[in-house]
Amino acid sequence: MIEAQILEKAKKLLVEQDKEGVEAIARQIIASGHDPLELMDKALIPGITEVGDHFGRGVMFLPELMQAADAMKSATDIVNDALTNTDNGKKQGKKGKILIATVKGDVHDIGKCIVVSLMRANGFEVFDLGRDVDTDTIIEKAVEHDVDIIGTSALLTTTMSQQKILEEALKSAGLRDRFATMVGGAPCTPRWAARIGADAYAEDAQDGIRRVKEIINGK
Amino acid sequence: MSKIFSRYGDGTPFETTEKELMEDLVAGTQDAAERGKIDPLSQDDLDHIADIMKCRYTAVGVDPGYECVLTYDGAPIKLIRTNVNVDRLQALQIYEKLMGADTLEMGFVDYSYKPIKHIVTYEQPLMEQALLSTTAPIIYGAQPNLGLYSQPDGPFPNPAELLPAGRIAEAKESYEKAVEEAVRDMVYVASAMYESGADGIILDTVGAAGDADALAGLKTAQILKAKYPDISIEMGMAGEFVLGMHGSLEFEGVRLAGLYNHQMLELAEQVGVDIFGTVMNTNTTESAAWNLARAITFTKSCTDIAKIPIHANMGMGVGGVTVNDHTPIDITSKASKAMVEVCRLDGL
Repeated sequence: MIEAQILEKAKKLLVEQDKEGVEAIARQIIASGHDPLELMDKALIPGITEVGDHFGRGVMFLPELMQAADAMKSATDIVNDALTNTDNGKKQGKKGKILIATVKGDVHDIGKCIVVSLMRANGFEVFDLGRDVDTDTIIEKAVEHDVDIIGTSALLTTTMSQQKILEEALKSAGLRDRFATMVGGAPCTPRWAARIGADAYAEDAQDGIRRVKEIINGK
Repeated sequence: MSKIFSRYGDGTPFETTEKELMEDLVAGTQDAAERGKIDPLSQDDLDHIADIMKCRYTAVGVDPGYECVLTYDGAPIKLIRTNVNVDRLQALQIYEKLMGADTLEMGFVDYSYKPIKHIVTYEQPLMEQALLSTTAPIIYGAQPNLGLYSQPDGPFPNPAELLPAGRIAEAKESYEKAVEEAVRDMVYVASAMYESGADGIILDTVGAAGDADALAGLKTAQILKAKYPDISIEMGMAGEFVLGMHGSLEFEGVRLAGLYNHQMLELAEQVGVDIFGTVMNTNTTESAAWNLARAITFTKSCTDIAKIPIHANMGMGVGGVTVNDHTPIDITSKASKAMVEVCRLDGL
């Protein structure tokens, strides 16, 4: 087991966006023979969760959020490299491929970019199509990249209907069972996801990661 | 015990009990108090909101003595959006003569200052005609909308692309340049409309694009007040706190990122703003009671300290009202009544 003091230090470094410090502590833990997954579960994931919470409360701001996400990604890469040749890697669960887009007519993408950063930091392969993306393009790219999950973001009540159109288009194309779908954005709710037939709703970036893991591990 | 009709923040109806209703009210006020570092509502206030929420009438109104100024933002635009085929001047007349508006807002369909600078000479005669055919004060309004100053809509690199790429210094520089351009445009348009007879200027949804957007709004108000000491300025917020998209911008030595409504109010008063519009966003996954108690707590933190009138934004997705294109009359009227009576509000 990694000492509690070291885990606390790793978390603190991440919250303070000290990329080099986080990388160093990750390498140190791996070199000393400890389980890198313990570092992820007890320090880095709680750390990035705290960063997200601080952002949501207006205590931490977007540049810091981005820097913390960057530090998280670097540390995650180091952990993933270490896991590749260990039995522990099997415990991490199957990584998946996710396509993410802001729907047609909606140009808001800051929240979606945060989701993308956090998902990449958590080791998922993410295809970010950007904003104002039409349904046909989403489906075409999902097929091309053979993704596991299609995630769409809508910030407006006037554009969230595009998420329903995507569900219907996937059914019409006979592709609904091939992809899991996840919706997010300010006006979306679990009730909206259920109403349109999406597989999951994510309240925020952290929740999105939880949902993606549930879907991937349930496949 | 009979069930109480309520809604989630997304408008979905559900039934609740008196105990659950109070639990949601307490949780809502505590959330606001914790986030804003402000006082939670008293038990008397919570009981009063609970009484309003429990009321079985579909539509309610304020008790006598609590009547307040009623205005609508973006009024001419909203009728057009609902496919009512009237021009902007007629829309203002409808709001004044049929819908009880005490003040009127003239606005262009884009509702951003930047595009108006090209057509301001067409806005001026319309304002003059509107002033001649109505009696209520007419305020000209639009948003700073700093998003229009970054590529592809504006000249500066897009921070939303730079930040995820780790180019943070460049993103910050882009925001800083956008502030200067936006202030120039807003002062130009606001001056032209004020000189055409507008009774005031609305800087609406200030901070929508983060702290740079808030800085542009404050600087504009400061310049306009110096230029026209008698100009009336209303400043409306965009959310319960200023998002830190830049993170380190300051106004008069105060860091703007993370300022809650009551803190922005103090800066607005400092630059001479005459009316402050509070905004608290609705969480679609929580109940109306939770959202309303939270919104009232934040608004009360403003009315408790304000030296100028406070007009709370009550509408789709703000002020405890649900996120619906056409907000249900039950929650819209109950939230408005509670907001006015608990905060002793000057206007909606």
